[in-house]
Amino acid sequence: MAAVNRLNIPMLLKVMGGLLIIEGAFMALPVAVALHYGESDWLPFLISACVTAALGTVFRRGARPGRSMLGKRESYLLTGTVWVVFSLLGMLPLIIGTAQMDASDAFFEAMSGFTTTGATVRAADAPPLSHAVMMWQALMQWLGGMGIILFTLAVIPGLNSSGGMQMFNAEVPGITHDKIMPRISQTAMSLWGIYATLTLVLALLLWAGPMGPFDAVCVAFGTMSTGGYATPAGAEAIFSSTYSTLTVTLFMLLGGINFTLIFNAIMGRWHKVRANDILRIFLWCIVIFTAMFAASIALTHRYTDWRDLSVGPLFQVVSTFTSTGYIWPGFQGWGQFVLALTFIMMFSGGCAGSTSGGAKIDRLLYLQRRTANELHRCLYPNSILSVRINGAIQSPELVGKVISFLALYMIVIVVGGVVLAAMGLPTVDSFFSAFACISNTGFGASVTGYGDDFTDMPAAATMVLSALMLIGRLEIFTILVLFTRSFWRR
Amino acid sequence: MRIVIAGAGEVGSHLARLLSTEQQDIIVLDEDRERLARLDANYNLLTVAGQPTSFDALREARAGRADLFVAVTPYESCNIVACGIAKSLGAKCTVARVSHYGFMDPANEATMRSMGVDRLIYPEYLAAREIITALEHSWVRNWFEIHDGRIILVGVRIGPSAPLANMQLKEFAATAGNFHVSAIRRNHETIIPRGDDRMEPGDVLYITTLRDNIPHLIELCGKTERHIRRVLVMGASKIAIRLCDMAGDRFRFTIIDNDREICSRLPEKCPRAEIFHGDARDIDVLLEAGADEADAFVALSPSSESNILTTLTAKELGAPKSVAEVEDIQFIRQAESLGISTVINKKLLATSSIFQLLLDADASTSKCLALADAEVAELEVHAGAKITAAAVKDLRLDRSMTLAGLIRDGRGMLITGNTVIQPGDRVLLFCLAGSLHKVERLFR
Repeated sequence: MAAVNRLNIPMLLKVMGGLLIIEGAFMALPVAVALHYGESDWLPFLISACVTAALGTVFRRGARPGRSMLGKRESYLLTGTVWVVFSLLGMLPLIIGTAQMDASDAFFEAMSGFTTTGATVRAADAPPLSHAVMMWQALMQWLGGMGIILFTLAVIPGLNSSGGMQMFNAEVPGITHDKIMPRISQTAMSLWGIYATLTLVLALLLWAGPMGPFDAVCVAFGTMSTGGYATPAGAEAIFSSTYSTLTVTLFMLLGGINFTLIFNAIMGRWHKVRANDILRIFLWCIVIFTAMFAASIALTHRYTDWRDLSVGPLFQVVSTFTSTGYIWPGFQGWGQFVLALTFIMMFSGGCAGSTSGGAKIDRLLYLQRRTANELHRCLYPNSILSVRINGAIQSPELVGKVISFLALYMIVIVVGGVVLAAMGLPTVDSFFSAFACISNTGFGASVTGYGDDFTDMPAAATMVLSALMLIGRLEIFTILVLFTRSFWRR
Repeated sequence: MRIVIAGAGEVGSHLARLLSTEQQDIIVLDEDRERLARLDANYNLLTVAGQPTSFDALREARAGRADLFVAVTPYESCNIVACGIAKSLGAKCTVARVSHYGFMDPANEATMRSMGVDRLIYPEYLAAREIITALEHSWVRNWFEIHDGRIILVGVRIGPSAPLANMQLKEFAATAGNFHVSAIRRNHETIIPRGDDRMEPGDVLYITTLRDNIPHLIELCGKTERHIRRVLVMGASKIAIRLCDMAGDRFRFTIIDNDREICSRLPEKCPRAEIFHGDARDIDVLLEAGADEADAFVALSPSSESNILTTLTAKELGAPKSVAEVEDIQFIRQAESLGISTVINKKLLATSSIFQLLLDADASTSKCLALADAEVAELEVHAGAKITAAAVKDLRLDRSMTLAGLIRDGRGMLITGNTVIQPGDRVLLFCLAGSLHKVERLFR
């Protein structure tokens, strides 16, 4: 108990309070949307916003921390709990509003939104949702895409300290955490600045195409965050117009690239972009997988028009690699080989430091180079080999950490799949769903042929999947460390 | 302010840590990735791996846009080159750490400037000066004066027999109005006191006063001023050599060192000092060197532990004043509570002088006082600064700082609640660590 007491809980609550006030403020946007469209959903959203902001204010005012230090343990605990608390409050409007979901479904939707998984438990033939709910679903993905805590670091000055930096490390995906500016708030502001600008540009580009402004904004939120949310009308427009398809593909791709690299490109440091192994490999992977997709579809005669052989595979490959999870119409019918490739892409994900999910290409590159070294060492035991990424030697500790990450990633998928199978789901679907959730891709089981999306899941299974999404979004260690003995006692 | 620190050694790391908690933008440049990783993972700053003397690394560290470029690698030539490059890239102010007096010589200032070095820090020089001050004012622990000593801030530990022990601050102010108790150091903590705080025996009081009141203050603290003549020095370090050189005839030095080679070459550098070879931790050696007759004992060996323990032995043998160099920051408080009168730390001295630079780029005073968790600074008040807006009591000053005294038109005066600070004043200020940015805001 003594160790638990030493955790600085009041400070944790105080920071949490600030975060909740921000969430409350974001809920005001759907209220405005509802009022604009004359929908009755403005009231549930207003209530939720008030509840969230009030709770935040209580935490912020009520907590009287004796010391303002946030250590590593507090930062991990805070980051882990913030995402859960955000989802718990984010689900409120879905329950009390016109969407009328039950608690477990709403929680799944909210978690799926914040973690940018984009999976849904709503049946395809369910009545259409109100504009406010659609906006909220897109907004949740957009917030979660760059990171709730990163957003807070950019706007709350009090976190501009080493405590805030620990939270940054706990939330931002990636192997090493590149700071791009001296202070953490400036780093957060630059990253969010790039993210918001790209989103705005995308929304304008989409609006210029066949999409209406509301759909353009929602699709921009879902695309840039690689969450994969689209309004029904927006989805229709993406797939019907080649212009929209390519625009969305380009911005999904940007969402899958390390934002530090995008920052460097904006600052004109092209030599850094050129010297980046990971970006090069990422782009090559996309080219090769697209070719394999197209070849497979062509050879098995599963295409209906030219787009199924060109933009279709490209769109689908980028969508899967970046864990966005948009599904090209007819993707389900592309056959087993394509499905197998999809597994590989979901596992890999995009570049570290991007908004995409998965294990990240960077880690696979570490694994590949380390494994190649080991094989070489079988023949030449005395040779000195190191893992070099972007030309720099990576320390053995770091390589070890990456490899244990990958091992843990596999274990979590296997455990998740087995638990789902135990709940009565078919084995392939269990593993596919576990895969889709931990990698934040959010493909429904419809891809494998079991029912529509996640509609037929038992409530317990949706909770397991929600947990997997969170573990995947925060890159395993942040969540699993909370369940270790060493976290709670020293 | 954007600050680039080249060299993540002891001074560089300490400076980076301290300044990052002071809300400055810090970029640290060093070759050693492991050292950088430790800083990067725990502090709010940016690190860049690379040679401090390489153009590429300096560009990468954005040295050209730095308001302050500080080169504190262990090698002075490297520091000077790094400063030169940084200056040519566009750094506003460059500071190099040096370890030879030649660079500090005013005659060479123009040369240094032409090489792109604006300021120098010479920690050994600062340390030697600090020791001389401590020896000249044997009754205090710290002595800080501005404007030729018109205003003086002293740190003094009071015993149970001191007349002001157990007095409340407001009583003290009523009986003797010429003193300003700026801070109290109690149980390893520095506090800025209020009127109802009590001065307890064992406290270290930081009192600001004017020069004429010093004899009265000595009396109130229950101290006697003692003239120091014979000084026993342990360890023939760079500081010791600097000390002998700077002190001239004022003291008679005896130096003990356990390296025969060093001892045999020492008479060349310290011609007036008496030199003993032996381990100062050995009591016989101490007695042979005259520890029982010395007025002061100064421990300057590379080991903080040896310095602390030997100083305690020397105190027992009868040396009334003791000075120890303690380089491990966490030991400073221990050393102070063991009754060592003055503790010297090169890192704190170096950081303190950089703090002065940060607060006031044209600080004419080069004196600085290094305390583990507080800073004393002299600041010039510019026209339009927030501090001039109202009387001090109406400024709602943060409790982490206190304004002690000021110099106006060449005359010193203490600051009370009713004082209105005017542009052109030079203010003596005492602030706790972490409040530099608040001070900056007040004086900008």
